[in-house]
Amino acid sequence: MPFTNEDFTVIDSIINRYPRKRSAIMPLLHFAQARDGYVTNESIETIAEKLDLETAEVIAVVSFYTQYKREPVGEYHVGVCINTLCAVMGGDAIYEGLKEHLGIENNCATKDGKVSLERIECNAACDYAPVVMANWEFYDNQTVQSAKDLVDAIRSGNPPAPTRGPDKLPTWRENSAVLAGISDGRAGEGVSAGEPSLLGLKLSKEGK
Amino acid sequence: MSTQEVSADVTLELITLTIDGFEVTVPKGTLVIRAAEKLGIQIPRFCDHPLLDPVGACRQCLVDIEINGRKFPKPQASCTIPVETGMVVNTQLTSNVAEKAQKGIMEFLLVNHPLDCPVCDKGGECPLQNQAMSNGNGESRFDGYKRTFEKPIKISAQVLLDRERCILCARCTRFSEEIAGDPFITLNDRGALQQVGIYEEKPFDSYFSGNTIQICPVGALTGASYRFRARPFDLVSTPSACEHCASGCDMRTDVRRGKTLRRLAGDDSQVNEEWNCDKGRWAFKYATANNRIKTPMIRGADGELHEASWPEALATAAAGLSVNRAAVLVGGRATVEDAYGYSKFARVALNTNDIDFRSRVHTDEERDFLTSAIVGVQVNYSAIDRADHLVLIGFEPEDESPIVFLRAYKQVRKRGLKVTTIAPFTTRGSKKLNAQVIKSAAGNESQLISKISGLTSKSVILVGERLCESYGALSAALKLAQTSGAKLAWIPRRAGERGAIEAGAIGTLLPGGRPVSDVAARVDIQSAWGVKSIPENIGRTTSEILVGLQSGDIDSLLVGGVDPLDISADALVGLEKAFVVSLEMRHSSITEIANVILPIAAVVEKSGSFLDWEGRARAFETAVDVPDLRSDVRILSMIAEKMGKPINLPTVAAAANEFASLGNWDGARAPFIAASGTAISGDTILASWRLLLDAGSLQDGEVNLANTAHPSVAVISTDRAEKLGVKSGDPVRVSNSRGEITLPCEIKDIESNSVWVPRNSHTSKTIATLGIASGASVSVVKA
Ligand code: SF4
Ligand code: SF4
Ligand code: FES
Ligand code: FES
Repeated sequence: MPFTNEDFTVIDSIINRYPRKRSAIMPLLHFAQARDGYVTNESIETIAEKLDLETAEVIAVVSFYTQYKREPVGEYHVGVCINTLCAVMGGDAIYEGLKEHLGIENNCATKDGKVSLERIECNAACDYAPVVMANWEFYDNQTVQSAKDLVDAIRSGNPPAPTRGPDKLPTWRENSAVLAGISDGRAGEGVSAGEPSLLGLKLSKEGK
Repeated sequence: MSTQEVSADVTLELITLTIDGFEVTVPKGTLVIRAAEKLGIQIPRFCDHPLLDPVGACRQCLVDIEINGRKFPKPQASCTIPVETGMVVNTQLTSNVAEKAQKGIMEFLLVNHPLDCPVCDKGGECPLQNQAMSNGNGESRFDGYKRTFEKPIKISAQVLLDRERCILCARCTRFSEEIAGDPFITLNDRGALQQVGIYEEKPFDSYFSGNTIQICPVGALTGASYRFRARPFDLVSTPSACEHCASGCDMRTDVRRGKTLRRLAGDDSQVNEEWNCDKGRWAFKYATANNRIKTPMIRGADGELHEASWPEALATAAAGLSVNRAAVLVGGRATVEDAYGYSKFARVALNTNDIDFRSRVHTDEERDFLTSAIVGVQVNYSAIDRADHLVLIGFEPEDESPIVFLRAYKQVRKRGLKVTTIAPFTTRGSKKLNAQVIKSAAGNESQLISKISGLTSKSVILVGERLCESYGALSAALKLAQTSGAKLAWIPRRAGERGAIEAGAIGTLLPGGRPVSDVAARVDIQSAWGVKSIPENIGRTTSEILVGLQSGDIDSLLVGGVDPLDISADALVGLEKAFVVSLEMRHSSITEIANVILPIAAVVEKSGSFLDWEGRARAFETAVDVPDLRSDVRILSMIAEKMGKPINLPTVAAAANEFASLGNWDGARAPFIAASGTAISGDTILASWRLLLDAGSLQDGEVNLANTAHPSVAVISTDRAEKLGVKSGDPVRVSNSRGEITLPCEIKDIESNSVWVPRNSHTSKTIATLGIASGASVSVVKA
């Protein structure tokens, strides 16, 4: 799909945020995912051209960060944390459970294109372990069953709101736009630092 | 010719430190690994390279460091840490911690490294193999499965990547970015899957890609042309110089049982540093092409060529050249010694100054410019290092003298050297050099040169050989240099041109820069050569010789290494009438009409020297000994002998010694009479130059190299594209009354009245097809 004039207006506004244009590479890649769902060759070439980079330099960034996808993902991309704390708290079981429940492998999407699954590394949410993310929004303290319920709800078109984050779960493309720095006006919604996160601070203030 | 220059007057702050108990004093900023080298202590390393920025990627160089009694808690990478006063360094030689750290890193590196040594090109000259022996544990404790990748993958037609062998040192990617400015390869992915890669739609077609193979410390990068051909210990290496351009690369030729298998960049810090271009590295198969001439040939009464013995062929050549009025054309690829042979042969054996090395488009203005302003003058690469402003006129360094490009790019990258170029459009090369582009239609350069201001005695002006095609431009450049005090250098394309000027292979000059017009200069040479007289008329130029052959004023021609189509589309016509003696390597349009053909040795088969654009001597030795093939000068000497007018140059060494003993002329130079160009006009003026990789005959036989050539396109302006209704990639036809060239177009910032095409690519040969090189009107239509 060729880039439109409107696309270029957005691209230019993103580039203009930075003193050196190559700094815009990461938000532009998120924008590309907002546009197409994943990073297409056309996006790689366009971004390289706009930022005066070689296409190989763009590939280096795309391939380094697992958040950038070179293949389409589901409308809701579900990540299960399998790093140490989550894993021992049930993350490994959740991942196996979802894999079986959805009948898909790591980094693959269901046939209806609704849900894709990925093993992800620590999300700095260990205090809510085990966590699952959908389009990078947190679902805290999950169990195998709650995770299955979550993906079922997503597939039936009624995803529950994230534990922390916006009141309604955005789609993969919507959240890619947010990551590109295009506000959806929902930054103020939901809790950010919940009780477990602040517990340590509280204890230290109490001098314990 | 000495080109030693004292480096700039910098005062260095020195620092003293202790390494393995020895004190060493080095300039501030020196890295610990280099300071250790100064003591002869070798710390193992992979990613470290003295010409690349430090990166600390491989961790092999860990050492123990203490500063003023405080110890670093962990071993440190000695390739990233600059020395400090009071530093105490303990390497693997004196510290168990360092030794253990190094052995540990080596074990890590080998975890995923395949056991390929017996089938790996690098085996026998591999830093990983060597250092695993010297600084590693004999045994690995890893008994799991190694990570595997498909092997090898082609990252260009010429470069193959075996990702299993890669140790992720980032030498190749840093070279591409920092030295060549072509970051077409990058480190991709992460963790155990991290790997070198390209963007799948864009191969690693950098002109300098071969250097990455040479500096890869393992066998991860290999060349398609050399893969599986030899083991390093079966090769015999000979120091060489590159014959492909005037950059002057130092090289090494590796031969196995009489066959050249590869050529590598040599190490000359003043010239090519440790790099070369892919043409110099890979274009050597022309010497073994099957149209190579191996025995002398004589054209018989039947009009056909017949093989002949050397004595017979020499006698026929001598007889033909004796009875006729003869002239000499020597191509721009002759060595200094050969050019000197031709120069002396013309004067002594043929009693003429009708000799010209310019077997290409040339002008009288250019001849006078070379005679007055270039011969005997040295401007060096180091002038670029120190320049405050570099001006390029009619010169595209990346295509026409790649090492000049690398040197300029280095200065642009390191210290923001200011570059201005007068060119038809903004090329990729000018973009990399961040150059200010003064756009000019071909032929209009003289009008724009005077607009360049602010040059000082530290500025450098580099004019390309093809600038002569723009009337008045060389005169304008010379004036700019004279009024501003800037240094001026002329950069020919071919390796032999500068040497040919110094050797006097041109009608205005005798060897050593002596003007033919100067009686004292002639007397000098007369007495050195022991001859009664040297002809005193200025000799004919190449085009005058061609006219003379047409009119019958000249009726025989001695010609060495000339392709008539480099001069003009009709150059061959006059030759057909004359008695032609051709010294050639391979059959060509000249040998088709020659009366006598004498086979000569290719560069790898002989010794000699070139002068690079600086005027610096680049000597080379015989790498492949072929008994019956001789350097031109030896053959010329034999013909002269047969003619009874000996030139006494029986060997290359004799020619070199005699030429050196003549010394340089220190008398007055021939005065330069400036030409003044007028603005040219026309709707569509052709601009062109030769791409580095093109249809040049010295690139014959190397398909992998040819497949990395930049695509041939016709560059047109946005205006023109709109008028023609074409977009980038659509074919356009460039034509005149003689012929047409059809190419995909590329829309660039070229002036609307210009069109640019490659001069000598397989699908675009301007001289052969259109009969013009540049600066003339053509028409462009949608094809
Ligand atoms: S390919 Fe060679 S030079 Fe490049 S990173 Fe790997 S080991 Fe280093
Ligand atoms: S830059 Fe010139 S001299 Fe050096 S390798 Fe290339 S062609 Fe040969
Ligand atoms: S281990 Fe799962 S969020 Fe940290
Ligand atoms: S040589 Fe020092 S980290 Fe690689």
